[in-house]
This record gives sequence, C-alpha cells and structure tokens, in this order.
Amino acid sequence: MVVSLKDSIKLLGIIVISFCAVFVCTFFLNFYLDALEIENLVTEQTRAMYEAQLATAEFTCAISGSVLAAIAIVMLVFYIKLYIDSHLKQIGILKAIGYSNGKIAARFWVFGIGVFIGATLGFASGYAAMPMIYKSLLIDGLPQIEIGFHLVLPLVLIVAPTAVFSAISCGYAYFALRRPVSSMLRGQVRFKPEKQKSKTATKNKEHSFLFVMCFKTLGGKKSLAFFVAFACFSYSAMVQMGCSMKRLSTGFMGIMILIIGVVLAVVSLFMALTSLIKANAKNIAIMRAFGYKMKECALAMLFCYVPFALIGFSIGTVYQFVLLSLMVNIVYKDVASVPDYSFSVPVFFITLASFLILYTAAMAIYTYKMSKISVKEVMAEN
Amino acid sequence: MIKAHKIYKSFQSGAVQVLKGVSLEIADGDFAVILGASGSGKSTLMSVLSGLERPDSGTVVFGNQDITAMNDKQLTEFRRDKVGFIFQQYYLLSHLSVENNVKLGADLAGNKNFREIIEQVGLKGKFKSKPSELSGGEQQRVCIARALAKNPEILFLDEPTGALDEKTGREVLDYISRLKSERGFTMIMVTHNENIAQMANTVIRMNSGEITEVYKNNSPKTAFEIGW
Ligand SMILES: Nc1ncnc2c1ncn2[C@@H]1O[C@H](COP(=O)(O)OP(=O)(O)OP(=O)(O)O)[C@@H](O)[C@H]1O
Ligand SMILES: [Mg+2]
Repeated sequence: MVVSLKDSIKLLGIIVISFCAVFVCTFFLNFYLDALEIENLVTEQTRAMYEAQLATAEFTCAISGSVLAAIAIVMLVFYIKLYIDSHLKQIGILKAIGYSNGKIAARFWVFGIGVFIGATLGFASGYAAMPMIYKSLLIDGLPQIEIGFHLVLPLVLIVAPTAVFSAISCGYAYFALRRPVSSMLRGQVRFKPEKQKSKTATKNKEHSFLFVMCFKTLGGKKSLAFFVAFACFSYSAMVQMGCSMKRLSTGFMGIMILIIGVVLAVVSLFMALTSLIKANAKNIAIMRAFGYKMKECALAMLFCYVPFALIGFSIGTVYQFVLLSLMVNIVYKDVASVPDYSFSVPVFFITLASFLILYTAAMAIYTYKMSKISVKEVMAEN
Repeated sequence: MIKAHKIYKSFQSGAVQVLKGVSLEIADGDFAVILGASGSGKSTLMSVLSGLERPDSGTVVFGNQDITAMNDKQLTEFRRDKVGFIFQQYYLLSHLSVENNVKLGADLAGNKNFREIIEQVGLKGKFKSKPSELSGGEQQRVCIARALAKNPEILFLDEPTGALDEKTGREVLDYISRLKSERGFTMIMVTHNENIAQMANTVIRMNSGEITEVYKNNSPKTAFEIGW
C-alpha cells in the first residue's frame, strides 16, 4: 500500500478549505435557487434589494468557490509532491520490483477523500446554518423565503469536487513519478539538473551558513511561502471585511466571514509551518547537534517567510477594500438602506496588531516545537 | 579529560536498559576506540558523552565542567565550542552543496579556510555538488570535512568507515589521524572493526551496556599497517 487513508485525512488544510468553500456555496446557492421561486412576488420597492441579494449570492459563490478551489488544488499538488519526496525510497523500491507508474499513481485517488469529508461536512453545516442565514437576508415587504432542497447541489458541491480532486491527485502523481528509479532510491529529490550560475556571480560574496540555509530552505519550498502569504491574506482580508460588514449590513454575516477568515488563516499557517518543520526535522537535528542555538535554527527556518506574510497581509487589505467598494457602489447602489463604505483606519490597525501578535505567537510555538525535536531520535530513524 | 561516572541510560521509561553503570576516563589528546557487538550500547554511550542526550543517572565531566548538570542552552554552547561529530549515516543536508554543508561546521568556529579542508579530503572538483550526486565514500568525506572545519576539541566518530571500501577506508582513517596529530584533538571512535582498534591509544570493549575491558595500546599502528 503506497498511500493510506490516514495520509489523506492528514490533509487537514484541504478538509478545512473544502469545508469553508462548500459551506458558503451551499447556503448561498440554495438561497439563490429558493429566491428565484418568489420572483413574481417582488414589487417595485423591493426589487433593488432583491436583485442586489441575488447578485451577492452569485458573486460570493463565484469568488469564494473559485479562490478556495484554486488554493485547495495548489495545496493538494504541494502535498503530493511532499509525500512523494518523503517516500522516495519506498516508492523507488516498488518501481524497482516492477510496479508501473500508472499502478502506483492510481493509489493516489485517496487524496480526494479529504475533499469528500470537508465538502460533506460543509454541506451539512451549510444546511444547518440556513434558517439563520435566511432570516438575516429577509427583505422588508417580501415573504420569508422557504428553505427547499435541490438535488443538484450535493452533486455539484460534493460528488464533482471529490471526483475532480481524485483525478488531479492521480494525474499529478503520475507526472511526478516519471523519474529514474535509481535517483529515487538514492533519495535524490530534485531530478532536473540545476542551472549552473555563472562562476563570477557566486564567487563575489561569501554568505554565512545561516543565510544560505534560510535562502535554500525557501528556495526548496516555494509553495510554503505561498501558503504563508495566503494565510496572512485571508486573515487580513476577512477580518477587516467582517468588521466592515458588521457596520454595513447584518452582524451575522460579518461574524461568519470573520470566523472563516481566522480559521482559514490558522489552518494554512499551521499546515505550512508543520510541513516546513517536518521536512526539515533532520536538518534541524544536525544543526542542533553541531551546536547551533534554537534561535539560529528558527531564524534559518522561519525568518525568510516574514516578507511573504507581510505581502499577503497587504494584498488582503487592498483586496477587501476593492471588493467592498464594488459591492456597495455597484451591487447595492440602488438600495437606500445600505450606508456608504469607506476604508476604516482603526479596523486596519486593530487587524494589523492582532495579526502581528498571532504571527509572533505562531513563530514562538514552532520554535518551541523545533526545540522538542530529539536529535538522537531523528538520527535513529534511518 | 573526559570522565564518565556510573552512567545509566534506559529507553521507553525504563523498559530497555541500555547503559548499566558505565564509567570511563579518556585523556586529552587520546585516540580511544569503543568496540562492541551490535546493540551493546555504543552509539548511546557516545551520544551521552557528547551531550546529545542526558543519562538517567551518573555524571559526565569534561575538563572541569559537569555536562550532565548543564541546561539545554549550556549544552548547546558546549557542543558548539568543543564537539565535532561524524555519523555513520552521514546526515548531510540534502538540499545544500558540499561547500555549504561544510560551511555548517566552519561558521561555528569562524573558519574561513574550510575549502582547503574539502580539498584535503579529496573533493576538489565537487564544491558545488549535492550529496545525492556523490558516492557513499564521498559523502562520508564531506561529513569529515564538516566536522573538522569546526576545529573541535573532541571528535566523536560513529562507524566512520562502515560504508567505505578498504582503500577509501584506509585513506580516510589516515587523513583523520594525521589531522589529529597535527591539531591534537581528542578522538573517540565507535567501530565493529577489531583491526581499527590497533590504531588507538585506548581500547574500550563493551558488552550489553557494560564495559568489559579497557586497555592501553603503547605502539599504535597507522591506517596502512593494520589488517582490514
Ligand atoms: N531511542 C531509543 N528507544 C528505544 N530503544 C533504543 C533507543 N535507542 C537505542 N535503543 C536500544 O538500545 C540498544 C543499544 O543501542 P545502540 O544504538 O547504542 O547500539 P550500538 O551498540 O550502537 O549498536 P550498532 O553497532 O548496531 O550501532 C539497542 O538495543 C536499541 O534497540
Ligand atoms: Mg550504533
């Protein structure tokens, strides 16, 4: 058995992201479909609000669905790559004794199960939250919209994503397995020859080991930088958006966005840093054995991700500002009850401060985790 | 001088007794070899002596410092200033070049001449190679360069020639012992190979967690004189 069910369930990040995406899409799509049925009851006064709400539902589903699906795909591919890299020898042995790439790759379908679990939970929670959502979307002058069940939703939101993600897993695994058995058995992670930089460029400056380590760790795990940035992006965007939404419209939606943002941020950051430490456990152990201080190891591992965190945070701030401006000025432009939106400086600073505290805390926790790596145990694993 | 006194060490909360009251003394500048069957506790003893692990009881005194009484920070500093390791399984950083792997050790001692050491272990054209592009023997030589670049006062070697053929094994041992006489560091080597013991000043024999024999060797042989 190459990949077990356990490996799939370990993809907590994918489970959470599919949960969030399906959760949001479930009630908005359901609301959209149910709202269409009362179209004939819409009057002159209520039309603007009614159309704005339909647009919001479409808009939110499209944005959160596509963004989160894209993130989940990147995460999946990253995980499979990491999985193959850390099981090179075992997989190499399978190939050596005659398993074909296709046969091994087919086992990777189980990585779709994480999506299935997340989507199913998200769908169920979406349904559970529906009465509250419908109530908060109630329009004065229109009857309460009844909650209906639409069979197409579980097909689109659970079955289809699971199938697509399983297919992507197998396909990517097949692609990633196409390399010489001998290099897999030797544990050669990178199978493309590296481009030789011109000699003069490398000769010029002598960098310290910690600098090189920092740089190469980042270079070897670029996708982690992406997840760190994404974590900070979703924290910044969704916390600020949640706070502004609270002032603009219903409190419930604001709080929901806020919670989703924090959960996404914590899970992606947790995932990124955990896999960083896991992939580098041996390197950290060796540095510790040689007498590098905990702080130096932490610096070499974690410091290079700080710029990405800040970039993610900045993009998130701009993103939520643009998105809310668009919503208020275009979608809700004819609705009198929606106040003007302007960028909130206090909210920005509160978000930034809480973000810095959380980020520093995460760094401290992971530095502590690194200090718990037993040098001898890591070395005994071989 | 390293002085270990009644070291006990067990794993799985006492279920596996590995070291059962080991006491020994190794003088400064000595070349000590620890011999013993597989599973007799040689590697465990080495990691206790070098401050990688704490014993359950007993003391390890290094000069006048009791390393068993140190906290983690002091132990890290101790390893940083005094100790070099050469491991049986290499433990090179796979994503870094030979040069940068050696720099890991060199930087700790502020050693700028580490490239000479790489050349001396016979890896002149391999500065930019990755460990996976090297043979087993070449990887072991990178480990040696990494440990020596740190200018250790005491060098711990766990089966340094386990993966090498006779010719490379002899060359590596010869190189290490020449450096040892140049710089005068202390060397503690774990090995299965009885012949290598003939190169040492002090031979320590272990059997299931206890020291069964210690003897001095007054006329050590060179790496090319011993059998293999
Ligand atoms: N972390 C650990 N947990 C449990 N048992 C351990 C641990 N480390 C070592 N042991 C046990 O302690 C005993 C001695 O191990 P050690 O590695 O010191 O032996 P060794 O003499 O170096 O053997 P070899 O020559 O094969 O390397 C073994 O029986 C091993 O199973
Ligand atoms: Mg051993």
